[in-house]
Amino acid sequence: MLAVFEKGERIRHIGHLDIQRSVQRGLRRSGLPVAYSQGFNPHILITFASALSTGACGKREIMDVTMAGDVEAEEFLEKMNRAMPPEMQLKEARAVDNKHPSLMGMVAAADYDLLIRDEAQGEKLAAALPEMMKKDQIMATRKTKTKLSECDIKPLIYSLYAEKKDGKTHLRAMMTLTERESCKPQMLLEALKAQAGIEAEVRMLVTREGLYGLNETGALAPLENM
Amino acid sequence: MDYREKFEMALEKVQKAPRYTGGEMNTTVKAWDETPLHFGFCFPDTYEVGMSHLGLKILYGLINRESWSLCERFFMPWTDMIELMQKEEIPLLSMESRRPLNEFDVIGFTLQYEMSYSNILAMMEMGGVPLEGTERGEKDPIVVAGGPCAFNPEPLAPFIDAFMIGDGEDVMTELNRVILRRKTEGWTREECLRELAKLEGVYVPSLYDVTYEEDGRIRAVTPNCPEAPATVKKRVVVDLNNTYYPEEIPVPYTEVIFDRIMLEIMRGCTRGCRFCQAGMLYRPVRERSLEKLTDLAEKLQEATGYEEISLSSLSSGDYTCLPELIRTLMRNMKEKRVSISLPSLRIDSVLKESLEETQQVRKTSLTFAPEAGTQRMRDVINKGVTEEDLLEKVRDAFSGGWNSVKLYFMDGLPTETEADLDGIADLARKVVGEYFAVPKDQRARGLRVTVSVSIFVPKPFTPFQWAPQDTIETVFAKTEHLKKVLNIKGVTFNWHEPYVSFMEACFARGDRRMGRVLQKAYEKGCILDGWNETFRFDKWMEAFKECGLDPAFYANREREKDEIFPWDHIDSGISKSFLWRENEKALRAETTRDCRKGCNGCGLQKWKGVCGYANAGSV
Repeated sequence: MLAVFEKGERIRHIGHLDIQRSVQRGLRRSGLPVAYSQGFNPHILITFASALSTGACGKREIMDVTMAGDVEAEEFLEKMNRAMPPEMQLKEARAVDNKHPSLMGMVAAADYDLLIRDEAQGEKLAAALPEMMKKDQIMATRKTKTKLSECDIKPLIYSLYAEKKDGKTHLRAMMTLTERESCKPQMLLEALKAQAGIEAEVRMLVTREGLYGLNETGALAPLENM
Repeated sequence: MDYREKFEMALEKVQKAPRYTGGEMNTTVKAWDETPLHFGFCFPDTYEVGMSHLGLKILYGLINRESWSLCERFFMPWTDMIELMQKEEIPLLSMESRRPLNEFDVIGFTLQYEMSYSNILAMMEMGGVPLEGTERGEKDPIVVAGGPCAFNPEPLAPFIDAFMIGDGEDVMTELNRVILRRKTEGWTREECLRELAKLEGVYVPSLYDVTYEEDGRIRAVTPNCPEAPATVKKRVVVDLNNTYYPEEIPVPYTEVIFDRIMLEIMRGCTRGCRFCQAGMLYRPVRERSLEKLTDLAEKLQEATGYEEISLSSLSSGDYTCLPELIRTLMRNMKEKRVSISLPSLRIDSVLKESLEETQQVRKTSLTFAPEAGTQRMRDVINKGVTEEDLLEKVRDAFSGGWNSVKLYFMDGLPTETEADLDGIADLARKVVGEYFAVPKDQRARGLRVTVSVSIFVPKPFTPFQWAPQDTIETVFAKTEHLKKVLNIKGVTFNWHEPYVSFMEACFARGDRRMGRVLQKAYEKGCILDGWNETFRFDKWMEAFKECGLDPAFYANREREKDEIFPWDHIDSGISKSFLWRENEKALRAETTRDCRKGCNGCGLQKWKGVCGYANAGSV
């Protein structure tokens, strides 16, 4: 069963492992027939398309649950939404067969909404955006657990624009997200801050609006529909 | 920016934000304006500790169940959050609707251990509640407290308006009803407190005067108004089957210490271990029925999705139909892949069969608490366990495939000698021997024996309430000795620094003047004293000095038989004469039988129909 769920704003600081555990307990509460792994410490067979960072909200996160029996999508949705807390409700579900390819391998990009908390900063960033996109290279710092490295994020940006909602600037970015490489919202923000000449801390609320894969024609398409 | 926005900002900067976010499964957010009475449940320690506590879950469900009352939770923030809250002027907020503490009608602290007392002051101050009862006005909440430490309420008397003594399920609702009438009938604070004092099991410290002898001992504790009874009787819920137990409990997102269903199978204990305060306070023993428990387990599992159920009580091995209970639970839960664990395993219970069943799910480490190293010492403390009992159980465990055993002991018990300390090492060595006696191909690899030795803290309402605690120097010397003798292959020795236990001893048997020490230490920055990284012994000692009090008076002094204790006006049901008799028997290393084998006349027999094992004719 492929399902789209939300990670609400209130629980955005909950890490991926805790989110996974919460979904598993939700499945156990739902009474739905879920499949367990074999072995001494059996666990529910479930995969997530992509781990969402601590601190970020998710509008359309995707999971794939292996069922132990036939379940209709509507029943799955209804029972799970009764079993999940308000901040983690499911939006859609679709039965897929066991041969469905791995979600993780299919993810190509993510659509982010970055709400800039301070509007003065937001305007500056929005103003700097066209200049930055004109450049041949956009350098940003990639942080891994062990090292910092410089990389060009321009090829990783599918689209990027600024918009205003309720008097606040939002940056909308479709950026590469694969198992191999990705551009994180923080990397984009650092590059844009440098362009706008902002040194102060910029507070933003990151919302991942959706996950995308590449269809037969090589175009981005919502992952949940693939 | 309002405080809620500032709070959101702070969440981005703290180390463990999930402990502050709330919104967990099975939490209740009731409509504030439509609910007349607002109860703020305060756990004076971190979220991870508080959310592991069964009492919180019981009272949370119980208060929210009533249409006219709501309950929201408060926890002690960690130091990084406290700093941000102070800097940004963010008040202490509830987990549910994020309202400041001082907007609640009642705030209730649970008193689980003495070293959480400074957190109570910190939480009140952060929540905008005046610390001392006498400073509170008509708009301020009524501050109440309950839990085991409420049995000696005196150190907290200046700060708490009313204490609930004993089982909370019934008195909680009665107390809330009275406080609701403060609102509806416009009672003054004073009127409300006097009404509260009329409830059985409620102690209002401001209605009592304390006088002292010149040497610091108590001369008398006297009620100063007609509503206050001379002694406050603890509350007892007689029938657990008909006492509220939640069928849904909050499920934290983040991992907490006990992240599982806790099924309270019984309350109280009949063993009569002489060091054990819980064993005296929670008397009489009351069991939940097998039917009730299997039903509760089913409902709780469905409501939480938890993977583990632990049976909770002071002595689960004594539950009348334990093997049957375990068998039934295992049968019901197998399909759902839920494991059953037995935390306070007593080694003299007939558990072999049950052990074999436990292993079908998971082999966790086994915990035994012989408490003392020699038979003489175990007789002194009335721990009715023999070496052969222990070794037999360990043998069963090792041949059943376990490789990890934890052994709990205490040092500093009354009459203890070096031979008793050496006995701990002897016992550990014999446990190791049992492991190697199992043929190599039949035992699990990688033996781990952990010996934990904690420091004895004499507690009120126990036969050792007269006893001195070992001085800090003595404890250090004993620890050094233990380190030497416990240097055994396969054995890990865990010991404790004596400072926290020393402070615990001061509060456990402290009087009202300890409240001044507490406040002084808090002003000096003492908070989160239960945590090594934040405990500041030097500040506590300064506080004693500035208050002109000697900590040794509370911790290390041997009391006379007839001394009036700070808690003598609290009636736990256990008579002082019984405790003294037990104390004398202890010094002679004489044991007392389990109540199930015959009434020992602890005093509960005076409350007719309360204890199922009471013999009215006993003294």
